[in-house]
Amino acid sequence: MSATCELQPKDYKSDLKPIWCPGCGDFSVVQGIYRALAAIGRPAHEIAFVSGIGCSSRIPGYTTAYGFNSVHGRSLPIAQGIKMANPDLLVLAAGGDGDGFSIGGGHIAHLIRRNMDITYLVMDNQIYGLTKGQLSPTSQKGRVTCTSKYGSLEEPVNPLLYVLAYGAGFVAQASPTDLVGMAAVIEEAIRYPGFAFVNIQSPCVTYGEEAQQIKGLKAIQESLASLGHDSTDRLAAMDLAQHYGRKMHLGVFYRNPEPPPTYGDLVRERQDLLSKDALPRERILDLFIKK
Amino acid sequence: MRKDLVFGMAGSGGDGIVSAGDSLLQAAAAEGYHGVMTKSFGSQIRGGESSCRVRISTTPILNPGGNLDVAVALNWEDFLKFGAELPVSGNTVVIYEAATNIKESEIPLVGVTPLQVIAVPIAAMAKETAGTERAKNTVVLGLIAGWFGIGAVAVMKGIRKKLAKKGEELVEANQRAFDAGRAFAMEHPLKASMNVLPSETKGAVKLITDGNDMCAAAAIFAGCQFFGGYPITPSTEIMQFFTEHVWRYGGSVLQAEDEIAGIGAAVGASFAGKKAMTATSGPGLSLKAEMMGLASIAELPLVIVDVQRGGPSTGLPTKTEQSDLFAAAFSAHGDVIRPVLAPTSVADTFRITVEAFNLAEYYQTPVIVLSDQEIASRKETLDPIDTSQFKILHRLRPAGADLQDYKRFKPTENHISPISHPGMLGGTYLASGIEHVESGAPTNSGSVHQRMNEKRTKKFDSLKERKDLFEVTGNPDAPIAMVAWGSVAGVCREALAMAQAEGLNVKLLVPYLLYPVAEGVYNDFFRSVQKGLVVEQTHLAQTYKLLRMHIDLPKGLKSLARSGANPFLPSEIVAALHLLLSELQRSHEGELQPQE
Repeated sequence: MSATCELQPKDYKSDLKPIWCPGCGDFSVVQGIYRALAAIGRPAHEIAFVSGIGCSSRIPGYTTAYGFNSVHGRSLPIAQGIKMANPDLLVLAAGGDGDGFSIGGGHIAHLIRRNMDITYLVMDNQIYGLTKGQLSPTSQKGRVTCTSKYGSLEEPVNPLLYVLAYGAGFVAQASPTDLVGMAAVIEEAIRYPGFAFVNIQSPCVTYGEEAQQIKGLKAIQESLASLGHDSTDRLAAMDLAQHYGRKMHLGVFYRNPEPPPTYGDLVRERQDLLSKDALPRERILDLFIKK
Repeated sequence: MRKDLVFGMAGSGGDGIVSAGDSLLQAAAAEGYHGVMTKSFGSQIRGGESSCRVRISTTPILNPGGNLDVAVALNWEDFLKFGAELPVSGNTVVIYEAATNIKESEIPLVGVTPLQVIAVPIAAMAKETAGTERAKNTVVLGLIAGWFGIGAVAVMKGIRKKLAKKGEELVEANQRAFDAGRAFAMEHPLKASMNVLPSETKGAVKLITDGNDMCAAAAIFAGCQFFGGYPITPSTEIMQFFTEHVWRYGGSVLQAEDEIAGIGAAVGASFAGKKAMTATSGPGLSLKAEMMGLASIAELPLVIVDVQRGGPSTGLPTKTEQSDLFAAAFSAHGDVIRPVLAPTSVADTFRITVEAFNLAEYYQTPVIVLSDQEIASRKETLDPIDTSQFKILHRLRPAGADLQDYKRFKPTENHISPISHPGMLGGTYLASGIEHVESGAPTNSGSVHQRMNEKRTKKFDSLKERKDLFEVTGNPDAPIAMVAWGSVAGVCREALAMAQAEGLNVKLLVPYLLYPVAEGVYNDFFRSVQKGLVVEQTHLAQTYKLLRMHIDLPKGLKSLARSGANPFLPSEIVAALHLLLSELQRSHEGELQPQE
């Protein structure tokens, strides 16, 4: 780990030009990430940033960190392998709502119960943008898209309630409508010692509905701080999270006041305990000797 | 006196057949014999039919043997379910439970008259001496000691050790059951003695293990520090070994939520700079295909073990087959070469697994170890392996100048570019499944795609020159040949020895490297060949077809292929070779006929 202070947001910005549409919410998200990383001050080469597939999954390439733009829905398994292989790294995962809650929807529950020290940022825009506007797992029921010509017949997933129900230690929501707040929430998520989840309402300017654009989001946004929400109260957080889709609460829903040991802590403990009586590698076959 | 004996035993799940096989193998090892034990089950969780074969020999053993010399049936219904896995011939002594109330002249074996048939009141003897029928397997061990001279002392020594914690009473009960079995054998001598010669290497250190444990131990020896996987028969024991031992070496293991997450975590660990592995069987290999493609395009080292079972889909989950060859060579879309290696025994599973890590590291690629149920779950007695003779390779790291303006996919002469990992200053790059330029930045360019495909496939040219990944035995100029890999190779090795003893001019090629197909090695081998067999346990003759795809095979080379769970016998392969020889002679006579 290196000294903090001197790093600036621009130090985390790569030379790649984003493929995003002008006005895409993800431009603000990447700015928020630069600011949060600069505030934390870990040098870029000590950061591993993993994503899946989708517009937002291009994001690791726009940072100077070690990036891994992998396959659809699988950022979390890869991120976990990285963290287990080298617990000293700062590991971020990011992707869209389809990546995280549809094709990769089976992984998040297990990452939460393992409590690895990984921060997961979902850019939730309620639509599949990269493939040009299909129904996503967070699309509202009744939504008309090119794969739901007569309106969706399904209820949306509630990402906030989902991760709270599985026991995530840190759960927050952010939006480009408040860049300063977003950077602060991402920073807090990264600093949380354990799994942290941030749902970011990031509008799709090309395929998103009117109500989900900046103006629409501003109309339904409410800061959790202004509501006097106690972020150590998990049940209160779940209560507020039920408003997902109707209200946009910004800030920290839940932060475990007494973070339990992370998976990495437990692994280290086990390694320390067991390595004392290890046979040297070159003698491992002695395990099979029959006397 | 004999040099070699093959036992086959079957019963119901609770009969302790496999545990008896274990005891027999360990006793044989203690007495200095070489041994192989294979197990086979129905797919029931508990109960159901259960069997094992134990082959004991004074010389090293190449396979679990063909026809049984000794068959033990605790009940006929279960025994018969194993069909060709427990073949009885006219040279077999059949021992069975008298309580089945079947006369010795009426045992339900169709079309064969065994050498001798003996009904033994096994259950009654167990009940009488040990107070419980659960001691049936110990009675059987006593019978074996009495009739065949194996384990008279060592079996009870082993049982005593195993049961020590459970109290002296149980040990004594087993001793009485064992003695009763032995006494029965002494009182009812065989028509012809079948004792095995004493071993000359009594007292030498022997290892006993199976292919799965050997594979996991080899991986840890090779420096593997991460395993991600999901339980699946018959590969699960590899993960189990890791969960017990890898922590001691600073590594870790993740039992993932599914097959995809298992390999995904291994891909992540490799990206982070550690040697990583996953293991699975057919259904899991199908699920892992996309991740294998990712590791290929991102050029990340990774070892994937596929312990084959009968397919497609759930298929025969507890039985062996070689039908994952196409999937191993070709799964995942796109133009890609992914090396596939196959061990042929428990012993060479060590070498092949270490080799897989070396290839993965050197070529920065996923490598498949194509094991099979038989190798994975059979136990072998082994002589100690000198691990110091194995070289361990590590991926090429960037250094000095490489890290000034680092280009992850920089073109090089051998198409292998230095690879950095998170934590390395100056080495940051974007790994990706999307096509990329030299720096790692995404691209849609056709010309870059062409160039990168070339880099990713040409790097394997040198692998095809690795003659040490092939074994040629027999007369190099022989006109008759066999090709076999995996567990079938052991059967062919024995068939080769038998055929040579009968005066046949024949040779055998065993590829440890199955893919990419090393055309040069095969062309050299086939040069003298006029007739031959590609022997494999696949229904569609996958090996034969894979070779045809790459090589102009000799016209007389035929396929001998059949579905899994139908083992080949060395004797039937020898018979097939004789047939080839007579065809060859006929065709030569034809050539000598004067032309009209």
